Amino acid sequence: MKIKIVGLTKKFPGDIKKGIQDTVAVDHLDLEIDDGKLIGLLGPSGCGKSTTLYMISGLKEPTDGQIYFDDEDVTFLTPEKRGIGLVFQNYALYPHMTVYKNILFPLTSLKVKDNEKSFVVEKSKKIIEILDNVNALIDLIKSTAIDGKIKRDAAVSAICNKYKVSMYLARQIYSYNLHASTDLNNDVQKRIDDALISIKEEKERLIKKNLHVNDNNEIVNENNECKQIERKLTKDEMDALVREAARLVQIENYLERKPAELSGGQQQRVAIARALVKKPKVLLLDEPLSNLDARLRIQTREEIRKIQQRTGITTVFVTHDQEEAMSICDRILVMKDGKAMQEGEPQEVYRDPKDLFVAKFLGTPPINVFKGYIRNNQLYIGNEKIKDVNPNIEDKNVYVAIRPEGFIIDDKGVFSLDCKEIITMGRDLSLVCSSPFFVGDKIKIIIDSDITPWIGTIKFSIRDSKLYVFDEKSEERIAI
Amino acid sequence: MEKRNNYKAWLYLAPALILMAVFTFFPLVNTIIVSFIENYNSAYGFNAEVGERVVNTGFTFKNYGVVLGITPRNPSTGVLDKTFLSFTGPSALGNTLMITFITVPISVVIALVISIALNQIKVLKKFFQTVFFMPYVTNIIAVGMVFSIIFSTNGIFNAMLKSNTNWINVGASYWNSMLILFVYIIWNALPYKILIFLSGLQNIDKQYYDAAKIDGASAFKVARKVTIPLLSPQILYITITSFIGAFKEYTAIVGLFNRSYTADGNVPDLFTVVYYIYDKLNSTDQVQYASAAAVILFIIIMLITLVQMKVAKKRVHY
Repeated sequence: MKIKIVGLTKKFPGDIKKGIQDTVAVDHLDLEIDDGKLIGLLGPSGCGKSTTLYMISGLKEPTDGQIYFDDEDVTFLTPEKRGIGLVFQNYALYPHMTVYKNILFPLTSLKVKDNEKSFVVEKSKKIIEILDNVNALIDLIKSTAIDGKIKRDAAVSAICNKYKVSMYLARQIYSYNLHASTDLNNDVQKRIDDALISIKEEKERLIKKNLHVNDNNEIVNENNECKQIERKLTKDEMDALVREAARLVQIENYLERKPAELSGGQQQRVAIARALVKKPKVLLLDEPLSNLDARLRIQTREEIRKIQQRTGITTVFVTHDQEEAMSICDRILVMKDGKAMQEGEPQEVYRDPKDLFVAKFLGTPPINVFKGYIRNNQLYIGNEKIKDVNPNIEDKNVYVAIRPEGFIIDDKGVFSLDCKEIITMGRDLSLVCSSPFFVGDKIKIIIDSDITPWIGTIKFSIRDSKLYVFDEKSEERIAI
Repeated sequence: MEKRNNYKAWLYLAPALILMAVFTFFPLVNTIIVSFIENYNSAYGFNAEVGERVVNTGFTFKNYGVVLGITPRNPSTGVLDKTFLSFTGPSALGNTLMITFITVPISVVIALVISIALNQIKVLKKFFQTVFFMPYVTNIIAVGMVFSIIFSTNGIFNAMLKSNTNWINVGASYWNSMLILFVYIIWNALPYKILIFLSGLQNIDKQYYDAAKIDGASAFKVARKVTIPLLSPQILYITITSFIGAFKEYTAIVGLFNRSYTADGNVPDLFTVVYYIYDKLNSTDQVQYASAAAVILFIIIMLITLVQMKVAKKRVHY
């Protein structure tokens, strides 16, 4: 589903008496998200990214502006009517419910519009289908045995997973006890007959009301028309959906545990399963990785990406970690003080930042910013001339920003820095340098580990594509 | 080194231990001993040598028999005392059980409903919190007196009902009196429960409710499936302490009626177990019956608490 946000604004009222001004959390935000894309809302804390997410979810009401899902204006719809799934920062799994019940909970309030169906016929047909190849079933049940003993629970969940049936039906099939049968053919035939009888009875019951069952197990009238009804899901349907969601995030073995008995990563996956079980059209993730340790974070973010691609669901992902956003998002939106700074593909935003804030926010180690100036169409830092610039730029003071990977050690280089420290990081080396024109704490430079640097003054040449110039006042990018 | 630390630790504990030994452990043991002494008289203590009087004649189970109405107190008359336990009419134990099993569940449910509602409103929240908390800081005897005025024959309650039923005055029917007693106890029990529930509710993470909102769960469902389970530790605590408190009920009767009988004639049909114990303590030669009753009460409370803990293991989450 496509999401379109127009002029979205959220103000938190202040208190005039106490002299507290209104806080504008989100300020006239415009954004379009294409169907099936994963977009990252990125920014420092307090930039309004989570507020935006909660307005999309419907948990917070916007002060101004509209939100459209496809062409429908959902701005004032309640959350449950929007068809969204939300994963909270701390997961908000109900601690007193098992994983199964946590995932089930959204379904218990769900009402679906559907053609009226005959569940009796559907179920009986499924039984017949499974019993048609009874040897596969028996092999499956026997394969779950531990030390030659067949455990009911293990066998039932194996049946669930293999035939994609609900636990209730799996239990019923297991209770036929066919794996211990002495007269298999006869027993199977009896069960199939039973199923056929219940189909027949159901059909006879319907015929009295002039209704029939078509091939899709839908109940139709004499003109072959289905009746649309709004109903709650049946137990079987709910169970099948829960298991499907659990399989998707690979937690089907933990369904009977409580959230406290799971690791952080597993809890995260349960939270995603709970958000996905209703098959929402939009998935919203609020800093979903911030509670995980570093290694798990990388693993989980890749999993989120995989799940998103498998389901093709439009996803909005909030994070303050630029690396996280860059690595998995189709597009990112960098925000600051409630305003959109720049939107685009991650690499494009990194390569082509519109202003100093975006340049500083993306990239680790962060970009190095120097005070410089333009004189006579030439760019200077201190006394050193860095490069020629576009002739129609007037003389002014500027910020010169250079990515850590933009420095090359070069005797004939144009820019000299005082190297204080060399840090070995394996794949490459990191230099900590200083310069009187530097804005900030430490200059960090990354160079190839094949080169042997030295402490003291080093001359560098600068890669053009890694150097950006920003106006000192507006902090906007100047094309050079 | 370790020994010295030990010694210090005991020293620090000493003040509390000494006070507990004098005022808790000694009375506890003494009560149990006294409950097994025949013809105990508190005026003479355990001393059996008191001239002509028959005092402290040794170990017996008779006291329990007298309290439970099985053995006659005076063998020569053969009259059984049925004030503590009776299967045919009002008795101290019967009243206590009735108070416990009627007022505790009702007050817990009402307190739960009020606190969930209070937790959801935004306007006047502080005001209502104060209103519901007022009874807690009001003297129970004073409240009892106000109740006895409200429910007196020409009181405001009858005025509203436009009747002249005798609810609690001398001569009122037993059930009328008990009904008002229940109302009084329940009303009086609410504030503390609401206080505990509210603090518990405020500790529940708001995100659980946001999650439920996204799923479109109804308010009733949220209360049943989210709020109450997450509040179950507080509910258990309140239930156990209220049960114990209700078994010890005494002040409510004194406050509301200031007597132990409904009709004239001194048939003590409004006794509770603790009221019965206090009553027996009035005469020096009946202390052993008070002790026996106290031990019985102790055993009952212990059994019920054990059962509650068992249930709690299954029902209380995390």
